[in-house]
Amino acid sequence: MEAVVVSNLNKTYEVGDVKVDALKSINIKIGEGEFAAICGPSGSGKTTLLNIIGGIDKPSDGKILVFGDDLTVKDEDFLASFRCNKVGFVFQSYNLVSTLTTAENITFPMEWAHKPEEYVIKRLNELLETVDLQHRADHFPFQLSGGEQQRVAFARALANNPPLLLADEPTGNLDTKTGQKIVQLLQKLKDEKKTVIVATHDERMMELADQKLYLEDGELVTPDE
Amino acid sequence: MSEAFFSVNDLLRRKLQTGIAITSLTLCVASTLFLLLFGERVGTGVFTAAQNRLTAGFSAILDNFMLFIGVLVFLVGVVIVSFTVFVMMSQRIRDIGLMKAAGCPNDLVFGYFMTELVITAIIGCSAGVALALVIDFGSASLLSSLGFAIPQTPFNYWLVLLVFGVFFAIALVLGAKPILDTARVEPAKAISPSYYFGMSKEPGVKVFSKSGLTFKIAMRSLFRRRSATIRIVLCLSIVFLLVTISVAGGIIADGTTRSWIERAVGKNVVLIAQQDMAAQYVGLLSKFYKTVQDSAFDYANVQYAVAESIINYLSSKPEITGVDPRLVLRMSVAEIRNFTFNPDTGETIPVGDDRKSVSLVVGIAPSQVLNNWLVDGRFIQDNQSREAMIGDSLASAMFSVPLSQGIRVAGNDFSIVGLCFDPINNGNVTYVPLETLQNMTGVGGPNVVLVKIAPSADRPQVISQIKAEVTAINPTFVVVELDDVLDSMLGFLGYVWSSIILLPLFSLVAASLCLIGYVMLSIAEQRQEFGVLRALGAKPGTIVKIVSGQSFVVLLAGYTVGVAFGIIATLLILVPNPLVTNYTVVQIAAWLLIALIATFIVSLYPALRFSKRSLREIMI
Repeated sequence: MEAVVVSNLNKTYEVGDVKVDALKSINIKIGEGEFAAICGPSGSGKTTLLNIIGGIDKPSDGKILVFGDDLTVKDEDFLASFRCNKVGFVFQSYNLVSTLTTAENITFPMEWAHKPEEYVIKRLNELLETVDLQHRADHFPFQLSGGEQQRVAFARALANNPPLLLADEPTGNLDTKTGQKIVQLLQKLKDEKKTVIVATHDERMMELADQKLYLEDGELVTPDE
Repeated sequence: MSEAFFSVNDLLRRKLQTGIAITSLTLCVASTLFLLLFGERVGTGVFTAAQNRLTAGFSAILDNFMLFIGVLVFLVGVVIVSFTVFVMMSQRIRDIGLMKAAGCPNDLVFGYFMTELVITAIIGCSAGVALALVIDFGSASLLSSLGFAIPQTPFNYWLVLLVFGVFFAIALVLGAKPILDTARVEPAKAISPSYYFGMSKEPGVKVFSKSGLTFKIAMRSLFRRRSATIRIVLCLSIVFLLVTISVAGGIIADGTTRSWIERAVGKNVVLIAQQDMAAQYVGLLSKFYKTVQDSAFDYANVQYAVAESIINYLSSKPEITGVDPRLVLRMSVAEIRNFTFNPDTGETIPVGDDRKSVSLVVGIAPSQVLNNWLVDGRFIQDNQSREAMIGDSLASAMFSVPLSQGIRVAGNDFSIVGLCFDPINNGNVTYVPLETLQNMTGVGGPNVVLVKIAPSADRPQVISQIKAEVTAINPTFVVVELDDVLDSMLGFLGYVWSSIILLPLFSLVAASLCLIGYVMLSIAEQRQEFGVLRALGAKPGTIVKIVSGQSFVVLLAGYTVGVAFGIIATLLILVPNPLVTNYTVVQIAAWLLIALIATFIVSLYPALRFSKRSLREIMI
């Protein structure tokens, strides 16, 4: 079964009188358990495409099916629940909630999903172990390094065990050594047969990909074009 | 780019923030100026003393109120203006930092933002003056249409200039400080959220770990934004102090003074007198709410005397529960000096002087009196021919320690046994026993009779029977229902108090705008985080809950402090012998609750507006 099906998708932004085509006639199919990498220069539309797949943004026209649900016709309540339970999102700039500790940042999506307290504690310990941050559980984001913040962001994205993980340049702000830990984490997720879509320039992540998508000026292109 | 061009553009770009800042300033200037103008118009208040209306006792209470409220309105204005310019500049500190990082010199940065402040202050203060004048004009017209002869006072340019100047200066001084402070800091610091939102990095207060997520985020953000939070709580505390004193004090004072008037004039009381005498008596009562010039009137004229047969008829009528004959005269009175003995020094100390005046002197039969005045001291006893009770205005104008002194009327000395709040002749009145006054003056009998009709009786029918009988005895006599005069007095009092109660509405609206500014600041600070929360599955309602939780906590903190101090101040300082009934308490509680709920609902606007934004818009 396909996890993500994108058909004839267009996204146009209007800035005053000027129209900017961010995505043009995109058609993609990503199967369940597949690892897809979206590559392309800055401004090519990678983040916009991820946002649309994750239900953060809506296309101007076209269709987007995620696990059979047409996101273009769903209301905000459905999309909120969809983002909470079906998708894990990792942002380039970590985007942790500054007023919550590491543990609280990881557990709050589970609170929204109304998971029982015992489950939340067990899952928190599992995730802290996965990202190797048990010793940082009570620290606030400003007390963590960039790499540690990104690992917290991964743990948070995985909290509700979503079938789809979206990561927007997860190593973009990290040095090579720290970035390697993130790549290892993604390798682990691939081994667990999670559907992963990553927007990246990082060669190490491209090597993990089952499917590579190249975007240029909002259009899908083949690398030799 | 010229300073003016940049500043105007920047103000226009932030329409909502600019609108809030200007409106807050406008309301603060308008409420202060209107209070002063209103005080002048009703002839009492901050700058002027009572002028031929209201008795001395009432004026004293009103003066106290106006002064207290005037000080608070001004204080609220200062705090709100301070908060408004603080928020206005806090929203720009990051821009200032960015401009400095791009190489803009300090003096130019200061010039740009100072120009914005000057433009905002000029528009806000000018609009405030205009609004105050419009409301003042409207209120004067309303007074006239209600039949209150309030003279049109000349336009007080100095007062307008003073209020404009003070608020303009406050806005500039308080606003210049954050601009100057920011212009001096390094750019890196100015663009750091922990600086431009005045945040400390760690939460200063431990929040219960098992508390709900929204509450946790709301509380921690609140305590991190310490500087802004303290300012808004202070601002709301003073506003609610003002609201409580005005509403609670106004309602209590209104109820208390109404009760004094009702007791002094009496309800269901009918006046029977010769038509000119009746008109004169009503005129004497009307002095309480309108300026009435004294004219020559011969009270002792024999044609005004009430015939024995009229009194006998009235006394025999079963529907009449009381007959109160009075002899009303206008006479010279003099203060009688007294002496006290100081046991320590053996010295005799004089009390009072030998002041003289003209007063309304009313002879009453103590056992038949229908009124139930609020008396300081006691009422005249039935068997005491040389006791007098004087009105509050006469007491304050002519006596030092009235209850230790005496009063001389037509060469006859009386001990003053009581002081009463009485609207007749605006409190310039002396009550003495009727028989004594008749003997002193040689006037044969009373010239007015007051009667009280039983509440169970058919009032119109009884009045028409009295009219028929009285005019049959003497066709020049009339029957006047004093309830109409009482209604006018209570209407005037009601207008004065309700105007005072409504004044803080301005301050409350301005405070609500400040709260909106605070919530906007809070949203701006947490914008990215709210975006992340929503991207991870939070519904828009969750964001509204977090923001409304924050505004509710600051609102409740300000409310608790303000209301507590307000009630203490009202009961202890402002109204002597307050009349507080269960109904009064419910009325005050309802008004204060409405103020709290209304302010809270208004403060939700930015959160609701923010929740409608698309997630992408927030995340950019």
